[in-house]
Amino acid sequence: MNLRSLVWSELRERPWTIISSSTAILLGVAALVAIRHVTVHSEQEVSRQLSSLGANILILPRDASLQNYYAADRNGQTLPEEHVLEVLMAGLPGVEKVTPKLSMPANFGGLEVTLTGILPQSEFTAQAAWQTAALFTPKKHEGCKKASHDSSNDDATPESLNTTRAIENLGKDQIVLGADVAERSAFSDGDTVELFGGTFTVLGTLTRTGTVDDSRVFAHLHTVQELAKTGEVVSAIEVVGCCEDAAGDLVPDLSKLLPNARVVTVSQIVQTQVGVNRLMSGTSWFVLGILVVVGGASLASAIAANVRERRREIGTLMAIGATPGFVQRMFLLKAVVLGASAGTLGCLLGLVTAMIAGPQWAGVIVTPMPSLAIGAILAATVVAVVAAYWPARQASKLDPCLCFQEL
Amino acid sequence: MIKLENVTRTYVRHGQTITALQCPELRIANGEYIAVVGPSGSGKTTLLSLLGGMLSPTSGRVWLDETSVYEQPIVARSAIRRERMGFVFQSFNLIPYLTAVQNVQVPLALNGIARDRQIELAATMLQRFGLGDRLHHKPSELSIGQQQRVALSRTLVNDPGIILADEPTGNLDPASRELVLKALDSCHNEGRTIVMVTHDLAAASRAKRQLVLQDGLISEHLVLASARAA
Repeated sequence: MNLRSLVWSELRERPWTIISSSTAILLGVAALVAIRHVTVHSEQEVSRQLSSLGANILILPRDASLQNYYAADRNGQTLPEEHVLEVLMAGLPGVEKVTPKLSMPANFGGLEVTLTGILPQSEFTAQAAWQTAALFTPKKHEGCKKASHDSSNDDATPESLNTTRAIENLGKDQIVLGADVAERSAFSDGDTVELFGGTFTVLGTLTRTGTVDDSRVFAHLHTVQELAKTGEVVSAIEVVGCCEDAAGDLVPDLSKLLPNARVVTVSQIVQTQVGVNRLMSGTSWFVLGILVVVGGASLASAIAANVRERRREIGTLMAIGATPGFVQRMFLLKAVVLGASAGTLGCLLGLVTAMIAGPQWAGVIVTPMPSLAIGAILAATVVAVVAAYWPARQASKLDPCLCFQEL
Repeated sequence: MIKLENVTRTYVRHGQTITALQCPELRIANGEYIAVVGPSGSGKTTLLSLLGGMLSPTSGRVWLDETSVYEQPIVARSAIRRERMGFVFQSFNLIPYLTAVQNVQVPLALNGIARDRQIELAATMLQRFGLGDRLHHKPSELSIGQQQRVALSRTLVNDPGIILADEPTGNLDPASRELVLKALDSCHNEGRTIVMVTHDLAAASRAKRQLVLQDGLISEHLVLASARAA
């Protein structure tokens, strides 16, 4: 017999007390865990989708909109190409890759296509000025790849245009065809084609993406500039940044660096999902509030009722030598057991709910997050202990004479 | 020795001050067997509570040997009860969710005795009271007499020098009553100090000294021959 077994015996004797007094905490934890699991996984999914899009920050001409960009950025407005160098020279943390593009309408074998000039990544390393920029980059960013001027195996094939929004090598007389263009024009790798009076070799064709890229023809940026006689301008500069930076300081930093350009983040295209995530995140804090207030009040009331029911027992314990501290610890330990049990069961219930409902609510696969589970159990336990503190203290102050039949 | 020195205990109820106990002096020697009798509301239980270190006097002092009990902090008073006193209650006050052996273990646990030793001592004490086959029964599974024997086992398991009994025969059938009184006789013969509050004059007559409480005032009486005979 000790404090633990005394508490445990009492709890076993009154299982309904356990259930009724900790239901609010259990449900609160379940709701919190379910919502947080779905929210976090949804945020991770948004982040993954953004990463899969490649560029997550766009530098556009001042008056261009994101819709212009996704309508093949053929809005007729341009930016000076030197902005690319300015971005690199600034050495902003979080910039992983910079890809300038110039798009224009073109006729390709009788097909209306978008001809997009793109600067291959190898050009960055080839240009002394940009090498200098790399050397003097003032800040390095933990967790991100170095900015664009390093070669990368990821960009070695034309398919990298789909996956990383960049290509390592692209000759001035080479083109890459989008899936639709390749299919409709019947050109394939190695074929020679006429475009804007020039002769080009098809370096490769891209797999279907379901985006405007399927109807693009990619060529070297400087070739497109020459053919279109635009001078050294670009339609857009795509920047791949670390997600947290893309969502954080990088956009304002770039806006400050290029005041005449418009800097937008691709996260705007998943704005609805982000909005839902924010709502769910806010809801989870609300549920935490409910857990604290309703769960705490419910448990405090149950412990207070338990103290009233057991007045004679408490008096007897004190008469036979229990100290007020012992009595207080007895009720606090009970609260710990109730809080931890409700927290654990609530956690399991919330997790199962999230795993079942996650794919339906948010289209995400939910996997258990141990840190969240531990945090929720701890929160439930702390709420229970805080709630029980006052009734436990009142119990410790009871008059031991309650042990007698009459006084 | 227990000594009450100019002790009064008053309550305020509905704006009126009620004197529950007034005791200029009371000495209880070690090993004495005292019965306190008196009508309901005369202050018997107040006296028992004062002696047990559970109810501080409005004025005066309660001495236990050289210690002024109510000048000790609460924790020290708990220790005095734990180590030196045993209580017998009218309604037994067993903890309903604990088995007989666990109920008897509680005072041992409070005294920091190891679990195995607790079980050994508790079982031995219950066997002494003829409850060796009821160790793992809960109070609700025991008869009234058996419950009182469990309660007596709990009282004695820590080997207290002072036993404070509150109407120990009040709820019992004649056989159980006799068993309890014999147990108290036996405790007295072992040299323990016993203070028993009772309405039962026959039970009181088994004590060596009787105190009568009337309206909070204590007076000493000799035992009536008729009561002793009963």
